[in-house]
Amino acid sequence: MRPSPYRRCAWSSALALAAAWPGFGQAFSQRGFVETRFVAYPQTAPGDRGRAVAEALLRYEAAWKPLPGWRFAGSFDARADTHRQVERAWDLAWQDRDLRRPAFAVRRLSATYRRGPLTFEAGKQFIRWGKTDLLNPTDRFAPRDYLAVVDKDFLGVTAARLTLEQKNDTLDVVWQPRFTPSRLPLLDQRWVVLPEVAVRDAGARYPGRSQFGWRWNRLGPGFEYSFSFFDGFHHLPVLEAQAQLKPFRVNVTRVYPRLRMYGADAAVPLKWVTVKAEAAWLTSSTQQADEYVLYVVQVERQSGEWFLVGGYAGEAVTAARRGFDFSPDRGLARALLAHAGYTIDATRSLALEAAIRDNGDGLWARFSYSQTLGQHWRATLSFSLIRGAAEDFLGQYRRNSHVSLALRYSF
Amino acid sequence: MSKLLAACLLAALAAPAQDARRIVEEVQRRSRAVSERYEGSLRVTNARGKVSEKRWRYDRLGSHGASKAVLRFTAPAEVKGVALLILNHPERSSDQWMWTPALERERRIALQDRRTRFFGTDFSFEDLEERDVAQYDYRLDGEEALDGAACWRLEARPRQAKISQYDRSLLWVRQDHYVFWRIENYRRGVLVRRVTYRDLEKVQGIWTARTIEMADLRENSRTVLRLEQLAYNLPLKDEAFTLQALRVE
Repeated sequence: MRPSPYRRCAWSSALALAAAWPGFGQAFSQRGFVETRFVAYPQTAPGDRGRAVAEALLRYEAAWKPLPGWRFAGSFDARADTHRQVERAWDLAWQDRDLRRPAFAVRRLSATYRRGPLTFEAGKQFIRWGKTDLLNPTDRFAPRDYLAVVDKDFLGVTAARLTLEQKNDTLDVVWQPRFTPSRLPLLDQRWVVLPEVAVRDAGARYPGRSQFGWRWNRLGPGFEYSFSFFDGFHHLPVLEAQAQLKPFRVNVTRVYPRLRMYGADAAVPLKWVTVKAEAAWLTSSTQQADEYVLYVVQVERQSGEWFLVGGYAGEAVTAARRGFDFSPDRGLARALLAHAGYTIDATRSLALEAAIRDNGDGLWARFSYSQTLGQHWRATLSFSLIRGAAEDFLGQYRRNSHVSLALRYSF
Repeated sequence: MSKLLAACLLAALAAPAQDARRIVEEVQRRSRAVSERYEGSLRVTNARGKVSEKRWRYDRLGSHGASKAVLRFTAPAEVKGVALLILNHPERSSDQWMWTPALERERRIALQDRRTRFFGTDFSFEDLEERDVAQYDYRLDGEEALDGAACWRLEARPRQAKISQYDRSLLWVRQDHYVFWRIENYRRGVLVRRVTYRDLEKVQGIWTARTIEMADLRENSRTVLRLEQLAYNLPLKDEAFTLQALRVE
């Protein structure tokens, strides 16, 4: 198979960066880590009898500032695993459209120019909107890797971003010419709970149009708020199913619905706690896609070595349609969300994250203990508990409670 | 005549307070610089004697009440790139935002959260603010020799507009060079943090302690900060002290 123009572009960019290495000098900075992670599932799942997964990830990040105002940033991932969640191919991925995680990927490659109040960044980059910590309804340029639904990671997007910062006001304008979807769980693995029929992935219909959005943020004395708008496509699909008789199976096509988002968020520190709220009204002209308001209200407090966040994520459907979708953000809605962290000392910390559906039908909780070992190593032991009813988004994964041990070497 | 006597009496009663304020004003005047930059080397020793080391780069534009500062970790690798933006105000507490590269987001540090330790050091977020003379009421508490140097001992209490975790601080100011030589911070009458200054050097005409030790007396731990490659009055740009700068620098 011939490598796509995008892959060739990614390879050549990476080579160009490497070739220029000796001249980087003082304006060059780099960092990264190697992480190995072992995950053990006490229970098998209907589509997956595997109980142990091992993963390895090398992430390398570099930044170069050749001239005042200019910055080039790159990040590269190399992965391997034992459970076929990672592609077994030598291609260097740029678009993040593969079903599996790519073995080699350009995670970020962007050029930034700053002059006065203007910042312009073009290339593959990360764009994060919103203020809440537990769920971000307005975070529309941030597709995620949902291969293991509750352990998600962000994917970069290829976009141009212009930011104007004037005293207390910031206007962010983003244009994304090429769509990046979220990566979904694999059909033959435990994070997809299938009916008793054979299901085949029939590919995806990716949008050909570009996406656009803006966000205006204002800092007040002790508070801040923003308004945002997005016109493009949902990075999570609706699933179109077609039955096939011989052999009998269901072919599922991923279709990414049109999406227009009107959002707002705010953070207001009060005497004892900080209140954060974020809401988005998500409308769509695609017939299968629901229209709904997603909102989060949370309070947070840092006290001594404790960091506490608690809140509620809610949803109000404004137009219910009959599409079948995969939507983890809606799956976490109508739920009480909590996050607590405790720093034992400079090297050890504890964390607890939890989501409990307000009807009691689903629960996810993760407890983590993390310890640094010397200047470079960190070990993190986590236990994720998932319980609930089969019909609930969280509850459907009730056989996927797991223990994981991650060992990271940072450099 | 009686009015003049009363005025003289009032002036005499107010003199110690004025003297204390004038001392701190003189400290500020002598340490004023257009900008400051240093590489900070931190050595954190916890209650069990375990030592961890960190490094940060500190840039400041302006002085005291009207200054902006960015503090960015450069080591260890795990925290490299984590940055704090501090906008100090003469009339109230500072605004602070922390940038975490792994999350690609900044987070505002609320006032009530400022007593928290800053990234495993013994400095709290509030300790990283610049104190401005106008935010405190002062009283001269006496004179005392500290490490062989004659010092004034002053008591400082935050004014209402300044929200502080400390309700009282004792400041020792060296009489020879008008620099802080020790600060003790109290919360509800209990000494919680002590700052000790050492290795006084004149850098570009400004007497500066090159070593600062912050001791957390409740945790029985301490952080020693060494100011390396210290320079004042560099041509730093205003645009390097914004939320955008936190993200792209």
